[in-house]
Amino acid sequence: MSNEIIQIETPFQFNEENKREFDELIGRYPVKEAAMLPTLHLAQRQEGYISPAVMKYVAELLELSVMKVKDVVTFYPMFFEEPVGKYVIRVCHTLPCALRDCKVVLDHLKAKLGTDIASETNLAKGTTDDGKFTLMKVECLASCDVAPVIMVNDDLYKNLTPEKVDDILEQLPN
Amino acid sequence: MVQERQILYEHLDVPNINTFDVFRQHEGYTRFEKAIAEYQPEEIAQMVWDAGLKGRGGAGFSTGEKWSFVPRDIEPRYLCCNADESEPGTFSNRYVLEKNPHLLIEGILICCYAMGIETTYVYIRGEFTLGKKMLDAAIKEAYEQSYLGENVRDTGQTINIYTHPGAGAYICGEETGLIESLEGKRGQPRNKPPFPAVQGVFMKPTVVQNVETLCNLPFIVGNGVEWYTQMGPTYADTRKDPPEPDRNTGTKLYCISGDVNEPGVYELELGLTCTELIEVAGGLRGEEVKAVIPGGSSAPILTHYELDTRLDFTSLTLAKSMLGSGGIIVMNETRNIVDCLLNIMKFYAHESCGQCTPCRWGTPWVRDIVQRIADGEGRQTTITRPKFGITESGRWGDTGETEEIYEDLDLLENVANNIANVDTMTWNTICVFGIAVSWPAVSYMRKFRPEFEAAIREGKLVTLPIAEATVPPEENYAYQQRFIPKEFADLE
Ligand SMILES: Cc1cc2nc3c(=O)[nH]c(=O)nc-3n(C[C@H](O)[C@H](O)[C@H](O)COP(=O)(O)O)c2cc1C
Ligand code: SF4
Ligand code: FES
Repeated sequence: MSNEIIQIETPFQFNEENKREFDELIGRYPVKEAAMLPTLHLAQRQEGYISPAVMKYVAELLELSVMKVKDVVTFYPMFFEEPVGKYVIRVCHTLPCALRDCKVVLDHLKAKLGTDIASETNLAKGTTDDGKFTLMKVECLASCDVAPVIMVNDDLYKNLTPEKVDDILEQLPN
Repeated sequence: MVQERQILYEHLDVPNINTFDVFRQHEGYTRFEKAIAEYQPEEIAQMVWDAGLKGRGGAGFSTGEKWSFVPRDIEPRYLCCNADESEPGTFSNRYVLEKNPHLLIEGILICCYAMGIETTYVYIRGEFTLGKKMLDAAIKEAYEQSYLGENVRDTGQTINIYTHPGAGAYICGEETGLIESLEGKRGQPRNKPPFPAVQGVFMKPTVVQNVETLCNLPFIVGNGVEWYTQMGPTYADTRKDPPEPDRNTGTKLYCISGDVNEPGVYELELGLTCTELIEVAGGLRGEEVKAVIPGGSSAPILTHYELDTRLDFTSLTLAKSMLGSGGIIVMNETRNIVDCLLNIMKFYAHESCGQCTPCRWGTPWVRDIVQRIADGEGRQTTITRPKFGITESGRWGDTGETEEIYEDLDLLENVANNIANVDTMTWNTICVFGIAVSWPAVSYMRKFRPEFEAAIREGKLVTLPIAEATVPPEENYAYQQRFIPKEFADLE
């Protein structure tokens, strides 16, 4: 897949702030390609997901083929190739959390949000109709001492019970 | 009663210890000052070797020895700090990053000085947004105070630290996976050799070191080798003649989770037993300990017969398990081992990077077998062999001998051992993820075989009483070679 064949409706570009951050980033590495993950994180923060337009833009910035960027994007679970909800809820379900009843938390969230759990290839499945939430299961979040835990976007919530989950959801701005 | 020994975590809860000023007030950066004022770089490397520091990230490899493999005539050299912390059950690095990031910076500075390294990348797992923010802020302060940047503290050396976010892949914790990921590629581990010490990131000599390992350096330099080596047991390595001391020095940030009353990180001298650690962590939540995972989910499980095993590198290796990352997961009598194995196998099936066929296909296969058993559909056959004896009609003839064969258990062991063989410790894969899969699979199954058999026989998960669920020591494969190390001082 050469860069020209991909049809992009609306091109993507970093905003001023991210452009500045990118310029700082790129100086850290002897090869441009190494800035891949931080650049993709920046782009995802701006756009919400890694669209084909984002991939094309990142490929141009790092002087790589779009294929190479896509290759990386598909490898890492944290990069989304489809739009996701405003709040991404990650529920840890690995053994230490399982020993502390993470299933109760997960079932509660499913019922409360009225959605299924997203899979890596089908994020829409776990996204609420109003586009506010995406519910997904993740592996150990390195907080097993305060299990069960969830992450809502960048924030970690500890020692959860269904009641606490309700409080958290209520306090999220619309 | 075991005393908590706070060294790395001593100032963790001091308010604002994450700021440069408060960190300075608590001896911060004085150890680095001491290093550059009193020692040559090579002397620091020698001290780390003499201190017997072993890597805290998983492999437990001697840090001083690793440093000695780095060719000092190839420029530039790199340090990669492994802050990927994704091994289930491990959470000690997180607290360092979030609460005391300057301690890590000081450790990095000492390593950079000892190895003549200019550039350090701290690879932080993507989910650690707070940890990355705190470390970035601390790095900024350190630049302002000229502990980082050009001509650090008038040594003439340039030292830069950059944080680099991961993106949710467990395999990027493996050192060569980390390096590939850092280079902007898929985090697929490389074949070794060449080892990272010789050809690592950007094909240059690279030291890969866990956060906790680096945090030990200020204390080794500050308090001296002798002080450091007094902590932890020294065993006699009787494979050598005459026996050589085999040291497990320093403290460990033990992460304990699961069925204990007060899960958390406990910093203790290496070498206490499982029972003692559970005691320290507020005791068991439940009636009895059924099983303990001693070193993160990759480590072979310990049964209630093995709770006297000391949690250090040597003892756990001899018990056919490992200290790994120091993540201890405790399970009480209500837990079903088949269910626990299923959870862990789902994790590994999700995290295989997919490069090697045995791992890519074998791991989901193992998961599927365990799933089948847990669903009550485990395969079993009854075979009848000819046997000469007195038949029902009172004559000599073939009486037949029947035997239950648990096909799925044999299959499970076979598939797992073909990813990596736990008996011979050989693996058919590029990285030791393969071992991390077959170790739990085979050890859970062999040590708790009655519970697996019951699930197949009854067609549903059955949680047996501990005494029935556990294979007794004399029949257990691991015990036949189980060996409790002798303290060096106790040798005649
Ligand atoms: C599958 C796998 C995952 C690993 N994950 C981590 C990890 O999350 N953090 C870590 O420090 N080491 C991890 N390691 C160990 C590293 O490969 C490496 O041994 C370690 O970072 C070296 O640092 P140390 O000597 O200071 O322990 C992992 C190893 C394997 C095989
Ligand atoms: S063993 Fe598994 S994780 Fe390791 S390189 Fe091979 S496929 Fe990847
Ligand atoms: S298992 Fe959930 S945080 Fe570790």
